Amino acid sequence: MRRPLRLAWSVTLLLTLVGGAPLAHGQERPRLTFAQLAESMRANFDVTQQIKSYAGREIEIQGFIVPAGPPDLSFFLLSRVSAMGNYCCEVPTGQDETVYVFAAKGLKLLYDPLRVYKIRGVFEAGKQVDTTYGVSMFRIRDARAEEAVGAKIFKVGEGTAPAAKP
Amino acid sequence: MTELGVALRYLRGRLVASVLTAVSVALGVSLVVASVLLTRGIKEAFLEGTTDYNLVVGAKGSAAQLVLNVVFRLDSALPNILLPTYEGLEEDRRVEVAVPVAMGDAYKGFRYVATTPAYFAAFPWRRKRFTVAPGRLFRDDPAARPSYEAVLGAEAARRTGLRVGDRFYEGEEMAAYPLTVVGILRSTRSADDRAIFLSLPSYWGMNEIARTMAIKPLTAVLVRPKRMSDLPALHRQLNVSEETQAVFPSAILLTIFNVLDLAEDVLALILTFVAIVVVLYLFVSMYGATWERKREIATMRALGARRATILRIVLLECGAITIVGGGAGLVGGHAVAYIGAQFLAARAGVVADPFALGLLQPAVLAGVVIVGTLAGLLPAVMAYRMEVAENLAPLS
Repeated sequence: MRRPLRLAWSVTLLLTLVGGAPLAHGQERPRLTFAQLAESMRANFDVTQQIKSYAGREIEIQGFIVPAGPPDLSFFLLSRVSAMGNYCCEVPTGQDETVYVFAAKGLKLLYDPLRVYKIRGVFEAGKQVDTTYGVSMFRIRDARAEEAVGAKIFKVGEGTAPAAKP
Repeated sequence: MTELGVALRYLRGRLVASVLTAVSVALGVSLVVASVLLTRGIKEAFLEGTTDYNLVVGAKGSAAQLVLNVVFRLDSALPNILLPTYEGLEEDRRVEVAVPVAMGDAYKGFRYVATTPAYFAAFPWRRKRFTVAPGRLFRDDPAARPSYEAVLGAEAARRTGLRVGDRFYEGEEMAAYPLTVVGILRSTRSADDRAIFLSLPSYWGMNEIARTMAIKPLTAVLVRPKRMSDLPALHRQLNVSEETQAVFPSAILLTIFNVLDLAEDVLALILTFVAIVVVLYLFVSMYGATWERKREIATMRALGARRATILRIVLLECGAITIVGGGAGLVGGHAVAYIGAQFLAARAGVVADPFALGLLQPAVLAGVVIVGTLAGLLPAVMAYRMEVAENLAPLS
């Protein structure tokens, strides 16, 4: 009777470890915001050391998809402002408002210009010139995307922590 | 005689029933193959035929209509915008290339697309390559001296029969402005194959209203920015303007794909029901056949055939029907897809490849043979468990 019990314990432990691994990994992945990217910009296309420290690491960022590239979404822009035409009131100002997102393969998702998406991938910071897509400051490679339900996009001056109630 | 030989002889023995069963399998497989090939083909045709430009700028109205008309030559054109919109974009420091397009009349159903030679230019970022063979591109003529030269897309040339040097017009009012064919484009597998290209001055010269206008009209401007990060600002700026709208062509295609995906899901549900009906028909057919030949099976058993041999023979019958039906279904599916593709090309200008080979064909055939053989499992088990003494008893 003891052997099956031990086996059951071992299987439970293994399942806990295997099941818990992605969670632990997910907790380590930093979440960047457009506010952080905008604040990291310095003169002559330079960025702060702090934002550079995320380069080469897997990060997460939330924003609106601007399908600026091919329709298979192997490349697109992630923007703080939706590409919903003239229904909104903000004019994006340029480099700090967008991240270039490259997916290893085309992404399969239900595209909606008004939905906020969560993008995960390897972060790159600093000026780079691409023959196809031009100059960029921030890029995400090997990107995966999923809808971020109830997400908030932070502007410059807004923090990532929820505001304290008076 | 081998087990396969016995199985085939049994099938021949009830030829009509066997053929009908194989035909039902073939029809089911044809439906699955044709549906998958056509839905996939439509999607790929849109992907392949899309523009390399990132923004389409046109008059206020339906964004989908603008892209479908300007990029895919479907739907009718939106109202005109004016030439200064193009001139403004051409001078914008954020814009690398701006290409004006004016669309209106057609010759034998092939639409006139007035543009500049920049439309055909090769850029490092451009997937599509235009080659004129035979002939040359139309001249980039000044507004005051239109040359009335035309370059035909490959399909337009083939279907109209026009050759380099031919002059053509459609309608009596156009007799004073015949176009001369100066070149024919190689196929680009896009809507450009079905277009007749000419210069903007020629187009304005042919058009009675445009001739009298001081500021000339356009249908749209195709825009490529120097850097993609400028796109949202350009897009927003052109949309808040009173006259224009700017559209990301990929956004429209993604919206179309969303609808196609929904249709694909519904189709998959219908096809699942079709597959269930076909499998049930196969099962009923094999069950009936096994029931009818109880005495034959009992005789075989009495003559020394083992239970496993009987099981294998019934499964082989099922397998043979599904292989024949599945094979015929694959051929039939491609034939139906071919007819569907011709219809789509003629009616909607969408060129789907009905003969695309890939994993689909072996996967469908293997799936049909496995599921079909499994459908015969119960009749086979029934034959396996048949008692010799009971079934060899006298009938009266």
